Amino acid sequence: MSTDGKQVTLTIDDRSVTVPRGTTLWEAARELGIDIPVLCHNPRMSPVGVCRMCVVDVGERVLAASCVRPCEEGMKVQTATPEVLGHRRTLTQLLLSDYPEQSRREGTTGDDALLALARDLGVDAVPFPDGATGAPRGQDDSSPVIAVDHQACILCDRCIRACDELQHNDVIGRTGKGYFARIAFDLNNPMGQSTCVACGECMASCPTGALTNKAVAGMRVLAES
Amino acid sequence: MDLLTRMMELQEARGAVTDEMLRQLSKELRVPLYRLEGLRGFYPVFRTQPGPKTHVQVCRDIACAMKGGEGHCVDVAKALQGLPDVEVEEVSCLGRCETAPAAAVNEVPVSGGPEVIAAFASGQRPLPSNEPTHTPRHWPTDPYANERAHYTMLRRLLERSDVDAARTEVVETLKASGLRGMGGAGFPTGMKWEFTAKAAGEPKYVVCNADESEPGTFKDRVILEELPHLLIEAMVLGAWVIGAQQGVIYLRHEYGRERKALEQALQAARAAGVLGASVLGSGWAFDLRIFVSPGGYIMGEETALLEALEDKRGEPRNKPPFPTNFGLWGKPTLMNNVETFAAIPIILDKGADWWAAQGKGEFKGLKFLSVSGDVATPGVYCVPMGTTVAELLQICGGVPGGRKLAAFAPGGASSNFLPAAKADVALDFQALQAAGSMLGSGAVIFVAEGRDLVELALNEVRFFRNESCGKCVPCRVGSHKAVTLVEGALAGQPANGLVPLLQEMGRTLARTSICGLGQVALGPLLSVITNFPQEAAQRLGGANGSHGSKGQ
Repeated sequence: MSTDGKQVTLTIDDRSVTVPRGTTLWEAARELGIDIPVLCHNPRMSPVGVCRMCVVDVGERVLAASCVRPCEEGMKVQTATPEVLGHRRTLTQLLLSDYPEQSRREGTTGDDALLALARDLGVDAVPFPDGATGAPRGQDDSSPVIAVDHQACILCDRCIRACDELQHNDVIGRTGKGYFARIAFDLNNPMGQSTCVACGECMASCPTGALTNKAVAGMRVLAES
Repeated sequence: MDLLTRMMELQEARGAVTDEMLRQLSKELRVPLYRLEGLRGFYPVFRTQPGPKTHVQVCRDIACAMKGGEGHCVDVAKALQGLPDVEVEEVSCLGRCETAPAAAVNEVPVSGGPEVIAAFASGQRPLPSNEPTHTPRHWPTDPYANERAHYTMLRRLLERSDVDAARTEVVETLKASGLRGMGGAGFPTGMKWEFTAKAAGEPKYVVCNADESEPGTFKDRVILEELPHLLIEAMVLGAWVIGAQQGVIYLRHEYGRERKALEQALQAARAAGVLGASVLGSGWAFDLRIFVSPGGYIMGEETALLEALEDKRGEPRNKPPFPTNFGLWGKPTLMNNVETFAAIPIILDKGADWWAAQGKGEFKGLKFLSVSGDVATPGVYCVPMGTTVAELLQICGGVPGGRKLAAFAPGGASSNFLPAAKADVALDFQALQAAGSMLGSGAVIFVAEGRDLVELALNEVRFFRNESCGKCVPCRVGSHKAVTLVEGALAGQPANGLVPLLQEMGRTLARTSICGLGQVALGPLLSVITNFPQEAAQRLGGANGSHGSKGQ
């Protein structure tokens, strides 16, 4: 976020905070120790505001995604009203309705952010039609080190930014549209046949079971030619 | 613009944009493959392999489904079965709802039942002319009696020596006229011009949003074909007021005939010195180009449109900032809809008071309406703002077949259905909002008694699901789940508590989606639940069905 040296003062959950202009609501809330949940946001990357978990009430017609919304002088922000919490639950349920029964991340690093959020929000049932059975979105095991489970992808775009913005490998993007949008490698190739260099940044950035590490112990590091 | 244009040229010349072509393009332009795939996979105009010689597109949306029946697309596909080298595709609204059921054969608009479409596709019947009309009608928003008089208002303003005062006058006149954006959002036009004029940043741009694509909406199409000079004049004026040198008309893909009309008008304008290195000899350079959309309703959302112009996937931006300050390439951009621009010359010519007086009673101005559905003479009408829905129905010959009106949607597929009892409501931004709907894109869809309103609303939700860009979770997943839930109910298996569940989803989509598409996606369905509770309960309210849900 660009700043011009000027400060703005606002209130978040009735507490006053002064931050440099250009600071986002999410960052300002953190300064107050208020943790607004996110799935797509990662402070190492430029925010995209697509998962909508971080929405807060700023008194406008629609809620604002705090990860992208800059602070404004005099703003009054509520981060956890019953309405806001209700929307977060509904959004979580929507994502869970397409989520595999088993998250590969829970079996590897054990830090699946979607499942953790569901626990935090007390989501225990999903009222939406199941879209995960049979994994219609498919899996991709072509990479020697990274397992891709499209069914567990929530399109947070973290891997995209990890690959293109942090590592400048420029391999991952979105293809398709709407409900059928998905992450893709190069021209929608299997990861193992793409220009991926297996740096692992996407896997480390993924909040779900979509991109996880494969067991590398005992693996032949140099391919025989 | 350049990259997408290149890809569209490849698609046009070679019938596809193959992997091989993209690899070549990637090397030549030094653009990563993932970006090219992102564009190819997002825009409906692109395909990965060439298709058959004849491509038939059949509209599946509300006005055409009402005329052709819900099974229309399947019936057309059946009628085309066995024809050599023909493929048929169900597509979103083609913008020719007054000819419903509408279709296109190799992008030439046709209309009719399955046998008629098959005759066009097989070549048995020659395709109709796709050239602009030679006899445009005179519309009440055109101040000019003939072609020689075109651009008089622009001449008058550019001749003024007190340039700053003249520019301020234009903005003040627009503000006083009460003119609001006619694309759907209704933002006050004068304010938009003022914000963009005052915004810091160079260069500035003028963009016309000519991407109307909402089911039931086709009035801009008629303005583009019959009044393109008014659009051009207003864009030049806008550029002069805000200080821009370049303008773009973002034209929806399906408007081929209108594109020709616009090109002819641009050529005439260049010949007359209205566009070019020195506009009307003023020394100020301004020119306009047409960018044909690679397709998709979402590009009508102004920031998605800008993303497309920047050769990206047309996914709406988080706002603020707004285009007036942060538009094309991050620069101040004045963007108005076709109808809005086209109203400006006459407002400047005759004054804000004259414009305001064109409305009925307390309402201001004139309004183009697209009329479709159960009505005798569907089409585009220009009426005084404040005309009631009942009066409009009368003008359009009433409901055919002696049937009674049951409901109407006054502002396109995203506007709430209202019951016939409210037909005395004035067609106006505020009046319709107060009545529980909206003027939206000015697309009035009439629905006769005997129609299944839940099915019609589902058709509209399906449209939003199909056209969702997929950027944000509520719209991408929510619209799809809503369609699945309602389809399940109509198949006889309504989930327990379906109505409150849909209402809860509707609130989440309305409050958390990035753009207007997601915010309104469930609106029409929820309006049927609210305004037609009996019909809704009959189709959605079953108490015995299971959720089809999963526990976690």
